[in-house]
Formats: sequence, C-alpha cells, structure tokens
Amino acid sequence: MQQPFVLEHKTGHICGRFYAMASPCELLIDTDDMLVAQQLVALAYQETKRIEQKFSRYLPDNIVHQINSAEGNPVAIDDETFKLLSFADTCYQISQGMFDITSGVLRKAWRFDGSDKLPDDSLVQDLMPFIGWQKIHFDQHQLRMPKGYELDFGGIGKEYAVDKVAQVCLQAQPTISILINFGGDIQITRARDGQQPWVIGIENPLNQDKAVKTLSLYHGGMATSGDSRRYLLKNGERYSHILNPHTGYPVKNAPRSVTVIAEHCIQAGLLATLALLQGEQAEAFLKQQQVQHWCMR
Amino acid sequence: MKKRFGLAIIVGIVATTSGCASLGVQPWERDLLAKDEMALDADSVDSGLDDHIYFSKEATSGGKAFSGGGCGCN
Amino acid sequence: MQLTQNKNISHALLAASCTLLGVTPVAQAAGNSEDGWKIDTALLLYSEQDRVSAVESVIAASKDFGDQHIFSGKLVIDTLTGSSASGAVPQDKVQTFTRPSGNGQYQIEANTLPLDDTFHDTRVQLNAQWTQPVMENTRVSSGVHFSKEYDYLSLAVNASLARDFNNKNTTVSAGFSYANDTIDPEGGRPVGFSGMVINQGQFSSEDAYKNAFDLTRQDGSDTKSTLDLMFGLTQTINRRMIMQLNYGFSKVDGYLTDPFKVLSVVDQSGTSVNTLYENRPDNRTKHNIFVQGKYAFDSGVADVSYRFATDDWDIDSHTVDSKFRFNLSDNSYLQPHVRFYQQSAANFYQPFLTQADPLPAFATADYRLGEMTAFTLGLKYGMTLESGNELAFRVEYYQQNPKNNGTPLPGQLQQQDLFPSVKALMAQVSYSF
Repeated sequence: MQQPFVLEHKTGHICGRFYAMASPCELLIDTDDMLVAQQLVALAYQETKRIEQKFSRYLPDNIVHQINSAEGNPVAIDDETFKLLSFADTCYQISQGMFDITSGVLRKAWRFDGSDKLPDDSLVQDLMPFIGWQKIHFDQHQLRMPKGYELDFGGIGKEYAVDKVAQVCLQAQPTISILINFGGDIQITRARDGQQPWVIGIENPLNQDKAVKTLSLYHGGMATSGDSRRYLLKNGERYSHILNPHTGYPVKNAPRSVTVIAEHCIQAGLLATLALLQGEQAEAFLKQQQVQHWCMR
Repeated sequence: MKKRFGLAIIVGIVATTSGCASLGVQPWERDLLAKDEMALDADSVDSGLDDHIYFSKEATSGGKAFSGGGCGCN
Repeated sequence: MQLTQNKNISHALLAASCTLLGVTPVAQAAGNSEDGWKIDTALLLYSEQDRVSAVESVIAASKDFGDQHIFSGKLVIDTLTGSSASGAVPQDKVQTFTRPSGNGQYQIEANTLPLDDTFHDTRVQLNAQWTQPVMENTRVSSGVHFSKEYDYLSLAVNASLARDFNNKNTTVSAGFSYANDTIDPEGGRPVGFSGMVINQGQFSSEDAYKNAFDLTRQDGSDTKSTLDLMFGLTQTINRRMIMQLNYGFSKVDGYLTDPFKVLSVVDQSGTSVNTLYENRPDNRTKHNIFVQGKYAFDSGVADVSYRFATDDWDIDSHTVDSKFRFNLSDNSYLQPHVRFYQQSAANFYQPFLTQADPLPAFATADYRLGEMTAFTLGLKYGMTLESGNELAFRVEYYQQNPKNNGTPLPGQLQQQDLFPSVKALMAQVSYSF
C-alpha cells in the first residue's frame, strides 16, 4: 500500500510531509534514524486525520455535523469536544464577543473570492439573529444549540491539530526535537540538543516569491493569520475575511497578515486572530501582549 | 602571477552572477545559510581587532568593510 | 474591545491552551534569541618580540528593535606600550637620538636596529550604527565613528544603501565613509627632511638647544581627511555557498607623514652622518577589490577571501585569508586561520638616504611602506555554554618579513640587518551573551 506521506533526509534532520486539513503538513525530526522518523510521521498523520474527521464542518457524520443538524435538540459530547468548546468559550469571553465560533454562518453571505461582489445588506442582517455564542449551553456531557445556529471550529482546528500532533510525538519520542508545521502554524516538541535552533522562513503573503525573513526558533509555537487570498475588493477598499460578529461586516483596516510566537501554537493562533479583529489597533494590541510578532499591511 | 589568479576569480564570479538566473536558493532552503557562522560578518569582533592591528602594521587596509577613521598608530 | 482591558489576554490564552491540551504551563518564554541585546566582549593581548605590546578590550552591543531596525554600538579601549622601528639604520657604534618630543635622548647599542621606545598611549574608540529598511528589499545604514588618543583624534561618518534582488539571493550595496583626523604630536610635527637636533654639548645652554629643536618643528595641529567609497555585490550561490565582491575607492588628503619616523643619511662607508625626519606626499588614492566565499559543510564552514589593493604610491598588495571551522560537537568548534600578505614598496620608500645623492621630493624609511611579506597562523576554540552564551579563545602568530627593495648597501650596512622580521603573538578571549 502506498503511504500517504513522504520522508526525506535533510542535513541534520529528516523531513516528513503529507497533506491534510487543506494544508501542506510538515514534520522536521531531529534524527538520522529513518525508522523512528517513519513511525513519528505515521503517528502524526493518523492524529491529524483523526482531528480533521472529527471536527471538520465539511465532513458528514461527525460531532460538528451532529450539532449543526440537531435543530435545537441536545447532543451528547465527549471530553475532547467539551475541552475545545471550553477553549472557544474562554476566547469569546476575553475578546468580549469578537471571537465567536457561531459567526461562521456569515459565510452564507460573504464569499471572499478576491472579487468585488459585496453581499446585499439584507442578506447579512437576515443572518445576524443566528450569531451569538451566549445562546449555546453546554456541560461536560451535552450541548444544546438553537435551531439555525452553526458551529465552526475552523478558526482553531488547525492550530489545535498542530499542538495535539506535537503532544503525540513528544510522548512517542520524548528525547527527539520535532518541529510540526501545518501551513505556517508551528509547534516544537522540545528544544534541540546543543542550543541548535530550528530555522524558519516567514513568507510575505503579498509576494510569495520573497521570504521576508528567517528566524531561529528554539522551542514553543508560532502561528500566522491572514487573508492573502481571501478578501473582497470594492471601490479600492479591501474587505478582509475577518468578520466582526457584532456587525456582520469585515473588520476595517486589519493587517493582511499577523504572525505571533507563543508557548503553544493554538495560543499564538488566537493572539494572531484577536490582533486581526483589532483592525487598525492590531499592532498596539500585540505590543501590549508583549509577544514577539510581525504584522504585514 | 598571483595578481592574474585573483582577477580570474573575480571575472569568474561576475560572469556567474550575471549570467545565470538559477543561482540562489528558495527561502526554505536557507537552513544552512541562516546559521550565524555562515554570515559574511561572522566573527566581527575578531575581524575588527585584526583590522586594527593590520591597519597599523601594513600599508593596505579596508576591503571587507570601511577602514573608517584612522588612528595615530599608523 | 477596549485596548486597556487587553493586558492579560496572552496569559489567559496560555492558561486556556494548557487546559485544552492537558499540560501544565511552563514559566518559560518562547521565542528566539533575536530579542534583547546581544553583547560581544573580547580582550586581546598583542605582543611583539622586543617591540610593541598592546591590550585591546572591546564591548559591542546590538539590538533588533523589530522589523529589522537594528542598532549596533562598539566601545574599544586599547593601550600601547613599547618601542617601534624609527627608520634609522643600525650602526657599528652606539647612536644617540633625540626623543620625538624634544625632551631627552635615547641611545641605541651598536649593531642594533634603532627602536624608539617612547610609545605608550591609550586609545578610546566609539562606534554607533543604525540600520533599517526604507522600502521593500532596501536597507539604509548609517553610523558615526570616534577615536581619540593623546595626540590624535579621528571622527568619521558613514552611510550605505543595500538592496536585495532575486528572492534575496543577490544584494547590491553602495556606501561612503568620510573621516577627518587631527594630529597634534607632543613637541610638534617635524618639518619634512629637517635634521634631527641632537644635544651633544654643542649648545651653550638648554634654551639654545630648545631654539634649535623648535626650528625643526611646525606649530599647531594638522589634519587628514579620508573619503572611502564602497560598492558591494553579495550572491547566494546555492544552499551551501555565499559569495561577496567589493570594490573600494579611497582618497586621503592632508598630513600623511609619520611624525615619529626618520631616515639616516649615510656616507660611502655606510656610516650615518645625519638623521632627517621623513616626508611623505600629502595625498594618496587607493583602490581595492575584495572577494570572499563561504561554504557550509555538514560539520563546519570554510571562509576564504582574497584582496587586491593598489594605490598611487605604487603600493600593490595581495592578501589571502582563510578560516576553516570544524564543529567538534553541537556546541563546540575549532577554527584554524591562515593569512598571507604581500606588498610592494611605496615609490618614495628607501631604507636610508645617501650623502652623495640629492634629496628626493619625498622619502620614508618606514618598513611598513617597504617591500614586505607577512603571514598569520591562528587557532580559535569556541563553545556554547549551557546558558546559550558563547565563550571563545584565540591564539595567533603574526610574522612580518620586510625585504630590501633592491637598494645596494654601502660599507658597514652590509654587516647590519636592516630588515629584521617582526614577530608577534596574539591571545584573545571572547564572551558573547
């Protein structure tokens, strides 16, 4: 049987690649042992696929599908789903409602295809009653969501997968440093031996031919949020795909891309997304958080 | 003889840099070049000290960087 | 949301992330070493056999203020003591010379190269440099340089522009530096080709000697200006190799004479009959070409450079410098260093003047402007400590072999070593954090 991933010897490490969650996925493994690397990449692939199948909004018969089609009835949830919902709840609270995993329903109105087709305001207003995380009630065992509402873990799914894969890899090989990179969302399982960093090139999303800079990451995670391809352009005004759940409209003057370094990938991802939601004040917000970051406008 | 050798190196580089667009690497291939020891100005403190010594002991200075202001040692 | 209420979002998210992933938070900042100040310190001891010794200490600091806005500064303090060749020739009898300041004399044994032992000076040097992007793929850098010792002041400014092309694989740069130096030696600057006044009892009083000495001196300070232009090309060749090519132009105007250097005037028997202060042209135009290549091996780095320099004093020089770094482990390395240098003599260099010949327009007997080869052999050992800081030790041996540029040696000079080798040892400790 053909493997869904490829492995390659690089200088000082082995690189494993596969495609999942609509993104190129890469593992850099600080070892020369091909068998160990193969075992790790297989494990990573398995874990990624598990999370994708469980939480993707686009796949049938998973927990998200069950919740979104429950029409107001309670749905039983497992511990992992409960933890993700709790995390989403924290994000909602600390962002004062700006990060809301029910706002995905707005996708019915907004199609960010690079065109100038803005939706009718009436269409947006019709969807507004179906946004509001405070209407969702859940505990450790079940969730109840009003009819017409939709949950979407798209804003945290990939970062969560990166962190989970890092955890699984660290458990399997606690002494080997592994860098997990899912399309720019990155987590390192542990520091490499001998103060060696992993070297990462940050791309400029506006011009993908040019790496903006390389940076050395020793441990921790990094994530990037942006709208390199997902936006609308009308009368010279750019509508980013970051939607304000309070208005139903894109956030104004948001940076095109925000990259943040933090202890965990998902933490970095949320900081980047929350920064985008700040629009013009993204840089000021990140500065206040005292995290290392890069904004591109 | 030595002089000619030096010029040959220079001509060789100019020819290769201007003639071949495939020179260079992609951003993700910079893992080795990004190492501190591969920077052209690695060991800059050492070279600063050396330059100062050679500046005061030899007739030629500069080349890699500005020889800058002088000192009374020359 | 209000920005003022945002302060602890990062911590709240960390706690939430840890709960989600079922791990305990570690009180450790993520990220990389690019943040904060990077400090390099070094202490170098330089010691020539029987001549100059120097102690140099360096503190260099740099910081990336974000988005490649980089400040770097450097403080160098060095002290110099010992003696240096005055330019006079050795003789078969004891020679007496007046100190450059005019205060006092020193005697040189027979058959010994005259060394002026009055060198002791402390120098302080400060540099500051700021670099930042100005537009996409373009950086400007500009800086100031200050160097002060007892009788010498150097001030310089520099600015350069660098632009990246071709996926940052090619960088083209252009820059200039302008330096203004002021020299004010103790006892004044000698009048070119004036004879050294030596008090051997021929003066009726100390004042009479002083008057005679002062006649060989120019009042006040003099200046020297240096304009450097540099054009550079850096090219990434492949994943392992990078090359640099620089062209440098330099124009120096002003007082280029060394106020401490003299020439012996000898008769047909090679016997010194007079000692004259040297005299150099007041301008010099230099060109140089510098090529450097660095290659990354799996366990080390090769760094080889070549420099060719030429100027209108007819000094041509070739320098080959190579360093090979061998990584002994993930956190230690050994780096041998070999340098070879060769220069031709300045067109006004002569090891001495002869009584029979008319005085040339310019002359120096400073061996540093004569024909010479030199080599350096060095070894550096560096290690990264547990803390991530770096400690390195370096030792180097430097030897200069001055050569006669074809001047016939009359009489007793044939028995003298006019071109002795200069041998120096350097030892350095560096610490970076």
